[in-house]
Amino acid sequence: MKRETSFRLNGENHTVNASVDSRLVDVLRDRLCATSTKKACGIGRCGACMVLLNGTPANSCLMMMWQVEGADIVTPEGLDDVAEAAFVRQGLIEENAFQCGYCAPGFTVTLTALLRDVAQPNEQDIRDALGGNICRCTGYRSIVRGALRAVELKQEHGV
Amino acid sequence: MEVLHPSTVEEALALAAGDEDTYFVAGATLVQLDWAQGLRLTKRLVSLDRIDGLTGVEATPDFIRIGSLTTLAALEGHKAIASELPMLLSAIKATAGPTIRNLGTIGGNVGGRRGCLIPALLALDARLDIARTGVRQRVSLVDWLAMGRDPDCVIEAVVVPRSVPTRWTYRKVGLRAGFMPAIIDVAGLLSVSGDRITQCRMAVGGGGAATRLHEVEALLIGEPQHAIDWQRVHAALMEAIRAPEDDFRSTRYRRVAAANAMVHGLGGRLPRKSRPLSPVIPSDAHAVPGEIALSRQASGDCWHIRPDGPAKIAGRLTYLTDVRKEGMLVARILRAGVPHARIIDIDTSEAEALPGVAAVVTHRDVKGSNGFGIVIQDQPAMCFDKVRYVGDAVAAVAAVDAETAARALALIKVRYEPLPVVSDPLKALEAGAPAVHSAGNLRTELYFERGDVATGFAEAAHVVEAIYETPRQMHGFMETEGGHAFVDEGGMLNVCAGGQHGRRDRMQLSRILALPEDRIRVVSSPTGGAFGGKDELTVQPALALLALKTGKPVRIQLDRKESVMAGTKSNPMRIRMRTACDADGRLMAQEVDVIADSGAYASLSPAVVETALEHACGPYEVPNVRSRGRLAYTNNGTCGALRGFGCNQMTYALECQVERLAAACGLDPIEFRARNLRQAGTRGYLGQIVAPTERLNEMLSAAAADPIWLKPRGPSADDSEIIGVGMGMNYQGNGLGTLPPDPGGGILRLAPDGAIEALIGMDEIGQGLLAAVRNTVATELGCGHADVRPIVGDTGVAPESGSTTASRGTYVVWRVAKETAPQLATDLTAAAARLLGRTADTLAIAPGGFAERGSNSGELLITFADLARRLGPDSLPSAETSFEFPKSDYFDGNARLVFAFGATLARVAVDTVTGQVRVLDVSQHTAAGPVLDHAAYLGQIEGASVQGLGFTLMENATLREGEYVTENLDTYMMPSIHDAPQSMTAFALESLEPDDRFGPRGIGELGIGAVTPAIANAVADAIGFWPQRAPINPEAILDALAATA
Repeated sequence: MKRETSFRLNGENHTVNASVDSRLVDVLRDRLCATSTKKACGIGRCGACMVLLNGTPANSCLMMMWQVEGADIVTPEGLDDVAEAAFVRQGLIEENAFQCGYCAPGFTVTLTALLRDVAQPNEQDIRDALGGNICRCTGYRSIVRGALRAVELKQEHGV
Repeated sequence: MEVLHPSTVEEALALAAGDEDTYFVAGATLVQLDWAQGLRLTKRLVSLDRIDGLTGVEATPDFIRIGSLTTLAALEGHKAIASELPMLLSAIKATAGPTIRNLGTIGGNVGGRRGCLIPALLALDARLDIARTGVRQRVSLVDWLAMGRDPDCVIEAVVVPRSVPTRWTYRKVGLRAGFMPAIIDVAGLLSVSGDRITQCRMAVGGGGAATRLHEVEALLIGEPQHAIDWQRVHAALMEAIRAPEDDFRSTRYRRVAAANAMVHGLGGRLPRKSRPLSPVIPSDAHAVPGEIALSRQASGDCWHIRPDGPAKIAGRLTYLTDVRKEGMLVARILRAGVPHARIIDIDTSEAEALPGVAAVVTHRDVKGSNGFGIVIQDQPAMCFDKVRYVGDAVAAVAAVDAETAARALALIKVRYEPLPVVSDPLKALEAGAPAVHSAGNLRTELYFERGDVATGFAEAAHVVEAIYETPRQMHGFMETEGGHAFVDEGGMLNVCAGGQHGRRDRMQLSRILALPEDRIRVVSSPTGGAFGGKDELTVQPALALLALKTGKPVRIQLDRKESVMAGTKSNPMRIRMRTACDADGRLMAQEVDVIADSGAYASLSPAVVETALEHACGPYEVPNVRSRGRLAYTNNGTCGALRGFGCNQMTYALECQVERLAAACGLDPIEFRARNLRQAGTRGYLGQIVAPTERLNEMLSAAAADPIWLKPRGPSADDSEIIGVGMGMNYQGNGLGTLPPDPGGGILRLAPDGAIEALIGMDEIGQGLLAAVRNTVATELGCGHADVRPIVGDTGVAPESGSTTASRGTYVVWRVAKETAPQLATDLTAAAARLLGRTADTLAIAPGGFAERGSNSGELLITFADLARRLGPDSLPSAETSFEFPKSDYFDGNARLVFAFGATLARVAVDTVTGQVRVLDVSQHTAAGPVLDHAAYLGQIEGASVQGLGFTLMENATLREGEYVTENLDTYMMPSIHDAPQSMTAFALESLEPDDRFGPRGIGELGIGAVTPAIANAVADAIGFWPQRAPINPEAILDALAATA
């Protein structure tokens, strides 16, 4: 069954005519060309497709069109408007946190939400938040360092 | 598929109306996993998400009532749950991953009947408020579960009695440390009044239906707490627990782990005596001069931000699978789906007739030679006579969109005549086994002998023999195979798909397509991870055939399930190793027999086995050696290169043997190794000449001095874990070896915009090629990092540099820079001098352009951009080089000349309750010559370490009769962040001998090589048992613990 679904994507309204069970990740990548959202498992087990759904990190491969009617969706491309994203990105960049980088946008989304919601997350908070993001290249250590650096940057900026 | 959105429970019930094919959903996370596994393919969902009043937590004096649509994340953050129901909170935190918990609800977890909360809720004696048409009632969870699935029932709330138990436990055992389905989970609680147990509830779930354990509870209720016979309780639990058996864990294991967890969690002692531990602190330990720690802080000015980092992190880097163009078709590949069959007929007519389908291709469209393979071309681009594994490509379609392509795929009719499945490499080699290929199943046999093996064993004081088995590891690159292809205006076929050697991909495509190489351009970078898994062709033949047939741009990206099915894996090996030493601990003889699974095709498997055997004695001198390797074709998927290329498997076996012999001799593992290390200046294992730099003594010293030995070891305070430290040494050959062609080369030039372009035909697969190129060129030329523009992974512009494999890229980059920079510097300086009217000796290359020699004013006399503009596009200086990767002098077999050296140490905690192994710390010492880029080097070591941890503890692509059991990342477990060690350190020793002209060594594989034996030896340090199979089965650990009792 196809039907029109409307949602906000990175601040812009979109209406998509798609099957009700189309996955958000496919609609983003194939219909709206929002390819910063990556797809690596398609069943919610890796976090490469992480988006902010009404402000909360969610696996877009698990979101079907019927679940996003009226939702506010932010993909990694749209994080420019979230203040904490700048610290997260900078921290990850400085630590050379990623290698192939395919998982990086998903990690960035999850960490941005963490830094927004928790004043000063520690290493355990970071690890707990990233339990659903898989990275194959780095062994995670560099990502933890990058996230800790982001927390430091946030403090330095008095946020 | 229809989704209905009632606004009241009554409406929801009316819509479902008892229809078996209608499902209520809330967060709808579970239903999608079911769909992925082919279960519950319902056509109708009734979503409860718009019904008011079903969320929130309400605390009454007697109960905590939780609305069924409350998300698990909301419960996690709820004060009443934390303070009143800590067991439930513990179960919630162990359920799925944090972002799934943002979507998943408590009602869904319970309603799906398999959720991880059920055992905890059973132990808490939870009730459900349910609604049926016209009826609302409160039922106990036990009774509700007993009723079976009822389509005419909505859960409105989960209601938990408020009572504070004296003691409670919840434990979930899975295949890794976090975000995994339960192998088994237990929940139990006790209330004690005085010393008497007044209340006890126990439940177990995971894999099967969750159940209360009333019989065992009865043993405890009314008993005095101090006198509980825990051994009897344990036995009763073993009796009562029902658990399934699957390819991952046995029923027996689940029972033991669950019984242990319950007894331990409720305060009982487990029947076990720990081995008296005599921790070995290596003597004569002192740090190695010159070894540096790698980190942003320690590296200082040597720490550079990788050029592709910012774009990747911001999501602005376009991968080859991200390209979308107007009119681009979407391709899909039809896989065999059966492991072994003769093809009778392929009928594509219905698929071709489907509106929206642009083309269907099969073997009939292959104009050239229908076979590929880096060394042996035994794999069809499109199968024609038979299929040999489930992932074999049979046809491909291109259509206007993914949905049409999927429909077309289903319309292709292939008639098969099934053939017997060959699934055991040993049986594959028996006489009369069904032949996977007509020439027989013995793909490769290798034999090597040196010295007098029989005498070596006969005269030995100690002999150890064991069989080590290794898993079928998946590369697990996050970007699955894919890309796009098109024919450009000039008639050039462009194939853009992540790979590891564009020119070889082009050559292979040329053979398949019968198209000259100069009509094909292959773009193979950037790619989202490879690890050897994109070395062989993947989607390129199908993409090329479809682009040529349709004349339109075509894209494809395999979904994970198809990637698992089609992609190569590491070669599972069965290594029988017999090793001997004299009474002083000097190695005397080594005998190795390897059986390796090639899967359906050869790819690089013969070379993997050969490389494994080349490392059969590792970094040790053994006078008498005999080795044999056999590689068998089977229908078990298909295998090939994976980071380490066979060394990891062999090193695992060898380094365990070494420590067993050390124990037999009463020597500590450092001293035993010290007596046997090969010495600099001696010939290599095959008798070949090797590069002059050897750093084994230094690596051993560094390992001995590592602070990891001083960290706590032995049983934990509550006896639930035993901690051990272990190590492994390795050396890893660089380059392809003496036998295959191994070209290198590159170009350095001034681009029209003033960039210093470095053209290298290798690939950025994540390892940091771009950073290495930029640093090395800037260093050699004297320009700034930002001046250098690496251009890689494109046969249209970059020259032949060889493959991005075998830890060879570092050397190629370094040598290209060394050989081209002086020439380019001379030509640039001459050109600048001419334009500036100066002499060349007054100029110096500086960041951005030319400065006055000797001046440090920072002023540029001319920028590179101005220089390029004034010279004009036809007169821009350029320098190039090509060479063969350095080779040794041995040609009877494949031998390496250049090696890197390492020692890996691991500290692990062996869980005496579950038998699981947790890696606490990893420390890696490496000696690979000068470090080209500190961050990339560190990244390679750390990443390899955790990939090796996965191999050792959890990863195995499991097949049953040629069909994958692990189809996606829900069952193929790669390490999550919870599995990664809390502490990881990496060190580099950069020095080379003065006469060593081979420069920096590659480190892509060095870091993975000795992780498995370090962990295995640490387990042995903790419990006296060397695991002989990876991934380590916790059942074997529990058995070993029981045996020492």
